[in-house]
Amino acid sequence: MVDLQARMALKAEASRLYLSYLWWVIEPLLYVAVFYLVFNIFLRSGREDFLVFLIVGKIPFLWFSKSVTLASNSIVENRGLISQIDLPKTLFPYVSVFGALYKEWVVFLVMLMLVALHGYYPDLSWFWLIPVFVVQFLFILCCALIGAFLVSYVADIRMIISMGMMFLMFTSGIFWDINDIADPNKRALLFLFNPVAFFIDSYRKVLVDHGVIDLEHLLAIGFASLVLLALLHLVFGRYSKQLAARVLAL
Amino acid sequence: MSGTSNHIMTVNNLSIKYTNKRGWSTVFEHIALDDISFHINQSEVLGVIGRNGCGKSTLLRVLAGIVPASTGIVHCNPNITRSLLTLGLGFRQELSGRDNALISSMLQGVNKKVALQKMDEMHEFTELGEFFDQPVRTYSAGMRARLGFALAIINSVDVLFIDEVLSVGDAKFRAKAEQVMTNKLNSGQTVVFVSHNIAQVNKICDRIIWIRDGKIYRTGAPKEVTEEYREYMAQ
Repeated sequence: MVDLQARMALKAEASRLYLSYLWWVIEPLLYVAVFYLVFNIFLRSGREDFLVFLIVGKIPFLWFSKSVTLASNSIVENRGLISQIDLPKTLFPYVSVFGALYKEWVVFLVMLMLVALHGYYPDLSWFWLIPVFVVQFLFILCCALIGAFLVSYVADIRMIISMGMMFLMFTSGIFWDINDIADPNKRALLFLFNPVAFFIDSYRKVLVDHGVIDLEHLLAIGFASLVLLALLHLVFGRYSKQLAARVLAL
Repeated sequence: MSGTSNHIMTVNNLSIKYTNKRGWSTVFEHIALDDISFHINQSEVLGVIGRNGCGKSTLLRVLAGIVPASTGIVHCNPNITRSLLTLGLGFRQELSGRDNALISSMLQGVNKKVALQKMDEMHEFTELGEFFDQPVRTYSAGMRARLGFALAIINSVDVLFIDEVLSVGDAKFRAKAEQVMTNKLNSGQTVVFVSHNIAQVNKICDRIIWIRDGKIYRTGAPKEVTEEYREYMAQ
């Protein structure tokens, strides 16, 4: 059901635009281009291969921010349907997140191609991308459900979410390297409280540095996300009708 | 359910209170329904009438299990399927009529295979022609109504809640809709029906509930209740 709806939504979105499915790839690359222009050409980051560094940071971040923003509004936007049938309200954020996921794997392929084209050739260590991708997905689901629930209750939360995304964009080390922070405590704190920064750093470790990712940290995020997800499902189940009442009274 | 009763749903001491926040401290509060009790019989068509804003639509939502009651109990056997039919809502504007129909059918619990099989029947019934495969945003109000009606009528549910639907579309489709409704009703469909069209209510319903000032003001046979209602409305 989620799968079908997500596919239909993607199809409908694509059919509205002249370049249809191409936008899946064009949009993230345009973001990267803008950042490249500002941070490398205007501000002269001085980092070698800044483009690859930026792509590997920006693309996973966009996956997170787009999914969560979209999902946060999903329940409110489906008011019409909610007014007619008693549905599990998790359906709507799930549809948003899966829609974004279907786009994302194409974008990730393009990202990997670009990285390889810049001389960072694929090897077996690339398989470490899979657990990072899976855990990021679980984390996205949690944030999506939380966002959707809160926005349904208090519409003002939407403003806070867009502010939060901006804050995350600056603190996730997209155009700078968190490992440049001199104080190791601050670095650890940032990774602890901002999983997105951890994901981005892990992607870079695998793709650019051929280094080792912090598997323990990754598993901890994955496990916490699973527990939280189970709790969120309970909460959504318990408050399903209240959510409908809230959304319909808006 | 007890053995002697043919009540498909029972409502006990139901109240519905709206609160709507307007700014920081002002809260708008309105009691739409105040401690009402009634039941719905198996295979009956129950009409609900009352002035605009008397809480009819909200009542349907509570009965259909979509929103909670403020206080009171709506008792309904968990394996009874319920569906609410209202106009123009619930469609995804960017999706075609066909995709919307498929999603809605599946949300009503029909599996994908069966839903796909019913698409042709649906297509024919809606008389939408080529529009069936166009995005719903390109539809006229009448076309949307036809799609909505077809969706509700083709998938069978135990209790159907209908909010002012039969009063739309052109005369030809209206006649067809009434015909299909009548067939459904004759086959034992339980329906709760909200309408302002008194003639229609008289024709279709077995029993009427008139809601006034949040209470059930009258309940009984259509003719008697609607006559008094007409006089009240004429005042």
